Amino acid sequence: MSDPLQVDRGSSLSAAGARPPFYRDATVVKWLSQVLTLALVLFALIFLASQGRSNLEAKDIETGYDFLGTALGSDLGSGIDTNPNTSGRALWVGMVNTIRLSFGGIIAATVLGVLVGVGRLSRNWIVSRASSVFVETLRNIPLLVQIILIFVVIASLPRVTIDQGPIPGWLHISNKGVSIPRVFVADGFYQWLIFLAIGAAIGWIVMRQRNRVHDETGRATYPVLSFGAVVGVFGVAGWFLHPIFGWVGAIFDFGASVIDALTPGIVQVIISVVAVAAAILWIRRFLASHRTPAGLTKLVDDDWFRIIFAAAGAVLVILFVTLGWPGLSSWIINSGRDLFEVLGDKFGDGRTGPPIDAMRPDIEQVGNFPNYGPSGLNLIQGLAAVYFGVVLYTAAFIAEVVRGGILAVPKGQSEAAQAVGLRRSTMLRRVVLPQAFRVILPPLGNQYLNLTKNTSLAIAIGYSDVVQVGQTVYNQTGKTLEVVSIWMLFYLACSLTISVVVNFFNVRMRIVER
Amino acid sequence: MSDEREERDDSAAGRFGAHTYQRAQGENNVSISDATVAVSDELAARDDMIVCRDVDKWFGDFQALSGITATIKEQEIVVVLGPSGSGKSTWIRCINRLEAHQNGQIIVDGIELTNDLRNIEKIRSEVGMVFQQFNLFPHLTVVDNITLAPIWVRKKSRPEAEELAASLLERVGIPEQAEKFPGQLSGGQQQRVAIARALAMEPRVMLFDEPTSALDPEMIKEVLDVMEELARSGMTMMVVTHEMGFAREVADRVIFMEGGEIVEVGTPHHFFTDPTEERTKLFLSQVL
Repeated sequence: MSDPLQVDRGSSLSAAGARPPFYRDATVVKWLSQVLTLALVLFALIFLASQGRSNLEAKDIETGYDFLGTALGSDLGSGIDTNPNTSGRALWVGMVNTIRLSFGGIIAATVLGVLVGVGRLSRNWIVSRASSVFVETLRNIPLLVQIILIFVVIASLPRVTIDQGPIPGWLHISNKGVSIPRVFVADGFYQWLIFLAIGAAIGWIVMRQRNRVHDETGRATYPVLSFGAVVGVFGVAGWFLHPIFGWVGAIFDFGASVIDALTPGIVQVIISVVAVAAAILWIRRFLASHRTPAGLTKLVDDDWFRIIFAAAGAVLVILFVTLGWPGLSSWIINSGRDLFEVLGDKFGDGRTGPPIDAMRPDIEQVGNFPNYGPSGLNLIQGLAAVYFGVVLYTAAFIAEVVRGGILAVPKGQSEAAQAVGLRRSTMLRRVVLPQAFRVILPPLGNQYLNLTKNTSLAIAIGYSDVVQVGQTVYNQTGKTLEVVSIWMLFYLACSLTISVVVNFFNVRMRIVER
Repeated sequence: MSDEREERDDSAAGRFGAHTYQRAQGENNVSISDATVAVSDELAARDDMIVCRDVDKWFGDFQALSGITATIKEQEIVVVLGPSGSGKSTWIRCINRLEAHQNGQIIVDGIELTNDLRNIEKIRSEVGMVFQQFNLFPHLTVVDNITLAPIWVRKKSRPEAEELAASLLERVGIPEQAEKFPGQLSGGQQQRVAIARALAMEPRVMLFDEPTSALDPEMIKEVLDVMEELARSGMTMMVVTHEMGFAREVADRVIFMEGGEIVEVGTPHHFFTDPTEERTKLFLSQVL
């Protein structure tokens, strides 16, 4: 008739002193599982690599990135350089096209998406219906279909002729797309940038001062307007005075000569030292954050994993730069010197022209066919189709994200804001939107990533983005694996950049609880 | 500050005489005296803070308020009781236009609530409201919660508004929580911050919509203490609550509602010891 609770307590007491068998010991299990996971991952990687290598050898396929330096036998449809002399240069042109498309697309899709998303919540019946139709139509049709549709619509416009309108010399619209005046960076642009940077710095100080005056007196002090005014004054002054910064180029020239004096050995040492220093700093910061008030540092197993990870990372970096890819250091020296020489030229003496210039579009006769000349900003058929396709499609999704974010703010928030007498605009700006933004941001980042990756559909209509150019390159060289690896690294770099930017805002918007 | 208050009183009284009061006599021939206290026409202009005449409110087909007629005098503490769904909250929310009434008149401090946006803004800045769910702004610190409206509506400077916030936090008993975020406070502390936020607009009337219903029992008292202190200071208050103790001890008058109508009005003594209406008796037998 013993109490079951009593029995239980007795047994647990006796177990407390003894060590459990190793397969039940939390510490041992944790370490073992980590080591096993690591071993498994390494094994899988090594296995795949060796299999791939032997398969390629069996089929007599050579691997390597030497093809990047070889000549490409064809021209590109559009980009910063339509006649690149090497495959590497061609891929770079494709990357620039993709980046331009994504960047411009993100801005346009955000603006349009926010407008439509807010419009769907509008109390104006027509606006809310129109927004709903926009969203439901665009998000329910595959993007590829939309891109082809836009492409076909543009193709059905009147054929381009010499003297095509609507406004000859200013705006051309035809089956070849749209051509408008091109605004471009000209001679004195980089020295003008120095003026703008100084203006922005002073403007920022003025803005802070205006903000302080507003806080202290409650007067309207227009801080953002003052910032704009200061930058504007410097911009106008710099337009005429920019040649006075001609000496800046000499600094970059000096930098180029310093880099040129380095040897690969020195660069390897520098990288190794930086890697070790970074690992040590990281571990020290980490240890400092774990220090208890009594000054003791108590580490658990996970902390040891982090420390081992950091140390191994430093060792890996050193091995990579010395043994893994010895050519890396001379590549860094060469490209660093080239970069500084280019900057030395851009900021150099004798650039007295205006910072920004413009050219009017024209139509020129190429053989028997008229076509848009290079002086205009040509939104050619393919680019227009991809651009408007991804912008409209993504805007529909962003609209839903924005609507969801605003609806996620509890009704009580706007009621409380109204109850203390805030106007509608102040309420939106100070209460509703800051809270909605917190909800909107993570899915908005997803949409940006989707947009960037969706630009690869350009291949369907032959616009020269990185995928289309890559296809041309591997058709000519047979280096499929290498091109795919470049694609993957490129999109990974783009996506990580977007993620870092979005996360930066995400952290800043977090709400403090408990 | 006293100058400002006097000026506002004059203008409010002036407007009442010229506009609203005449309208009450001329256009709407309503019988003011009902179950409520009869209002002398002459006095109506002077010390009536909230006047409701035949207020109707529908949500679709459902009539939430029917023929609400009541007057709340300056410095009066009125507690509204009734079973859930009786329209208490709807009524109190109509008084600062969080809900729009469809028939009848609501006049606050001499200003009639109509679709005129300027009147709505003016009334909202004179009427403070405390919600059941606190509705503090979670992305702002306690001090920023309190100073938001003084800075953006009253156009005060930040130091001035922060000084005001500090004195209000002192008044509600939590001066040390100023720099925390609402999520870091207990329910009772949050509700006291909400009261301070409403007081920061220096309102003439305070509306409380079930201020203690979302609180743990041990926190109810700290909020009720603040409300009692506010009542003693001469604030006009309209309180929807289930706290019978508060109604008994602090209220000047108790209004009992059921089914969107005012059933009975009286002093707490009358209400709790000798109610006349059958429905009131039934309600009291259930809650006491």
